[in-house]
Amino acid sequence: MSDDIIVAEGLARSFGELVAVRDVSFRVRRGEIFGVLGPNGAGKSTTIRMLCGILDPTGGRGTVVGHDIAKEPEAIKARIGYMTQRFSLYEDLSVRENLDFYAGIYGLSRARRTARIDEVLDRTGLRARTKQLSGTLSGGWKQRVALACATLHEPPLLFLDEPTAGVDPVSRRDFWEQIHRLAAAGTTVLVTTHYMDEAERCHRLSFIFRGAVLDVGTPDEIVERRGLDVCEMRVDEATRAADLLRAAPEVDEVAHYGHVIRVSVRNADAVAVARRTLDAAGLAIGRCERARATVEDAFVSMVREEGAARA
Amino acid sequence: MSLGRLLAVARKELLQLRRDRLTLAMMAVLPVVQLLLFGYAINTDVRHTPTVVLDDDHGARGRSFVRSMEATGFYDIVGHVRDHGELATALRAGRAKVGVVIPAGFGADVARGTPARLQLIVDGSDPQTVASATNTAASLAASWGSDLAVERLQRQGMRAPAPAIRLEPLTWYNPDLRTATFIVPGLVGVILTMTMVMLTAMAITRERERGTLEQLIVSPVRPIELVAGKILPYILIGYVQMSLVLGVGHLAFHVPIVGSLALLYALAALFIAANLALGLTFSTVAQTQQQAMQMSFFFLLPNILLSGFMFPWEAMPRPVQMLSQALPLTHFLRIVRGITLKGATWPEVRVEVLWLAGVLAWFTLVASVRFRKKLG
Repeated sequence: MSDDIIVAEGLARSFGELVAVRDVSFRVRRGEIFGVLGPNGAGKSTTIRMLCGILDPTGGRGTVVGHDIAKEPEAIKARIGYMTQRFSLYEDLSVRENLDFYAGIYGLSRARRTARIDEVLDRTGLRARTKQLSGTLSGGWKQRVALACATLHEPPLLFLDEPTAGVDPVSRRDFWEQIHRLAAAGTTVLVTTHYMDEAERCHRLSFIFRGAVLDVGTPDEIVERRGLDVCEMRVDEATRAADLLRAAPEVDEVAHYGHVIRVSVRNADAVAVARRTLDAAGLAIGRCERARATVEDAFVSMVREEGAARA
Repeated sequence: MSLGRLLAVARKELLQLRRDRLTLAMMAVLPVVQLLLFGYAINTDVRHTPTVVLDDDHGARGRSFVRSMEATGFYDIVGHVRDHGELATALRAGRAKVGVVIPAGFGADVARGTPARLQLIVDGSDPQTVASATNTAASLAASWGSDLAVERLQRQGMRAPAPAIRLEPLTWYNPDLRTATFIVPGLVGVILTMTMVMLTAMAITRERERGTLEQLIVSPVRPIELVAGKILPYILIGYVQMSLVLGVGHLAFHVPIVGSLALLYALAALFIAANLALGLTFSTVAQTQQQAMQMSFFFLLPNILLSGFMFPWEAMPRPVQMLSQALPLTHFLRIVRGITLKGATWPEVRVEVLWLAGVLAWFTLVASVRFRKKLG
């Protein structure tokens, strides 16, 4: 068997006139955390649903855990875990009853069920809340229960569709700790998100925009390929300075962070470009430092270019 | 198919049902309330029809006829009117549904032995009254007529001839013609139709609405396990409702149960399953619980009207009869009335059972074709 647990080749899906996914290809290796990044409506959820075998592609092909997504969806379903942003728990059932139910439909034997539920309760700290109705849990706790339900049967591959939407930053951090722990234990994780800080936590990423893949690689590779140079500076009249910089042809993106503006430039020296532009307008520059280009910088740059090209 | 997965679904459904106290209470209270409503309030026997009298004769014979009309219990004399205009007003205002006109000279005609005339005016806007109102008055007039003829012959010293034909009507199974006896067994079918279709239609759409259906579709659970597991608890509820209606009907309305209860309960499974399959079909069409509820109600109305629950099936036009054969209730009504009231046994209900099985097979096919483990 190949090392790629997911292979997507030119996947496409239309709903009538609407093209949700145009052309998506990527490979996910065993044991990695693979992020699918993209703005809302880019086709992330549709892609995940096709890979889970619950939505037939209208074009392209794919294999997941060695099975064809169109021909053997049921073989795939037994070997994957799936969790969505809606945390599909039964809100009128207690935490324990939810776990029991999912253990039941994944066909866990009685002994394994008891062992697994015990393990999950200890790991997630849910033991004190087993009798609580899951509808009364906070977002972070619901997320833990949902993840516990999705991993009870120890699937080799876990799909997470925007798992941290609407969850507070502390819970998100805890959640990512759990994801890394699962990955360390050998589980492959495919996660969609539009949080850029989460993207940096993935081993590899795929950028999806308007139903097509813009780039695939490690966060560093993607940033590097984009060739961005970034600097952060303090200036007087920050708004006017930002407008001037945006008008400069070399400048890719300008963003405000409190008193600081962040300037990213493609394939050129950001500091030099910024100084030249603002000096010409007679604006004084305070502190100016080169900064590390982030996935967010790369992503925004790609989306802007793609958006402009299609407009 | 895995029994474990099926039972996991059934167990979950029962747990949810237990938490949903309102629905649970409705399942138990609804049949009893409907039973009391239908049992006490609905009475298709026409009695105490408000009647006005227009007496232009002012004679003893006329008054005597009116008294004997009243004695039947069918007519309530609510007043006397002076002319046809007042009579029309009384009917229009709904004060009376029947008017009796005794023309001048009625008494004299009777005394003389010439044919005497009486007029009966009936409000036809309520067709149920018309037939009973005219029939009762006609038989009363006929028996008066023959009594008068006999009286006259005897006065002339002759013996009256015996009638050539004497009809001896015998009513079997419900000799007192009590509405409750007719309605209650049928109500079992109506209540099962209502709750079974609605519950299943909503059980699936609820999961769709809350997003849990997607989670189930991604799991290895098979459609048949999901469907059967969801239906199982409702079959149980169906039997509880059926026992409730039959039990209360028997105790409070003295509805007889002549035939085999075991046979009835066995055949009810077929009927319940047919309704559940239908509810499932609805749930594959409806996207929200509200839509599912509306569809169930739309379905209920033709069931009540066309199945023979309220109106005689035999009186329906041929195309409507054919349509109503597709309703599970039509056949179950014949089974339940046959067994409880007439003591029907297997050979007598076999045809209806075949029909039910056919309808069940058809709905199951439609539901399973439509219910796929896919989105979009």
